[in-house]
Amino acid sequence: MTNERYLIASYFAGAALSAGLGTMVYLFLRRPFGGVADATSSKRLSSVLKRLLPWGLLFPAVLGFVSVSYQGCGRTTYEDIVQSRSYLVEKNQEQLSSVLLYILVAVVFWDVIVLLVLKYAQNGRNESQLPQVDD
Amino acid sequence: MSLQSSAFLTLLVLSLAVPIILFLLLRASLTDLLRQTLRVQAGITFYLRSFLLILFLSSLSAAIGTSFYLKPDSRFMEYVWKGAEGMSSTLEKTLWFVAIYLVLITILVATLKIKDDK
Repeated sequence: MTNERYLIASYFAGAALSAGLGTMVYLFLRRPFGGVADATSSKRLSSVLKRLLPWGLLFPAVLGFVSVSYQGCGRTTYEDIVQSRSYLVEKNQEQLSSVLLYILVAVVFWDVIVLLVLKYAQNGRNESQLPQVDD
Repeated sequence: MSLQSSAFLTLLVLSLAVPIILFLLLRASLTDLLRQTLRVQAGITFYLRSFLLILFLSSLSAAIGTSFYLKPDSRFMEYVWKGAEGMSSTLEKTLWFVAIYLVLITILVATLKIKDDK
């Protein structure tokens, strides 16, 4: 396989892998997240959160992939880039590492969102438990 | 198998072992803490799964980003040093993200548990 063919194949395989990883993490967190979202008294908020979760994991995964540039380290032209196989493999590793890091940051972000949702749900429960005062 | 692939695989195995050991050590006490804090069962599952993801993603992200492409006449110890460099980066990243997770869990306990105790 020539370096150019390797570049094309690895680039599209990497893009598919990043989308696949984002989807896998979404599937792993979907059910417990749905349970937390349902704990809120607001049905609209629950629905919005459930719809946002897949995009909130898929976008960071793809963003991590596209954020890695092949140009750098004195390689500015296409010919320079495809010249070395080891450079291409190094860039693939960098892309995968970046995808995992961006998903990681997204998971931490959703942890914060779940914390806020749980607090909101708790406030809702406490308010509904207050004794009703008749006028 | 070349020295390059062996070094990379060793680093990969070690960086998979770190999150597994950490998760097994902390799982039971984290579950107890979350059970005492949260009323919603799904919340406990969510935070346990996200902890597992944080451990694996931080560790693998650092390990995969380590390149073992050294000059062709490199000696065995040069690969070992490169592996140690990768391991250092893996542990550092894992440490930072576990610290962030701990801060988050502390905020969770501080904001939710105190109200429940009243």
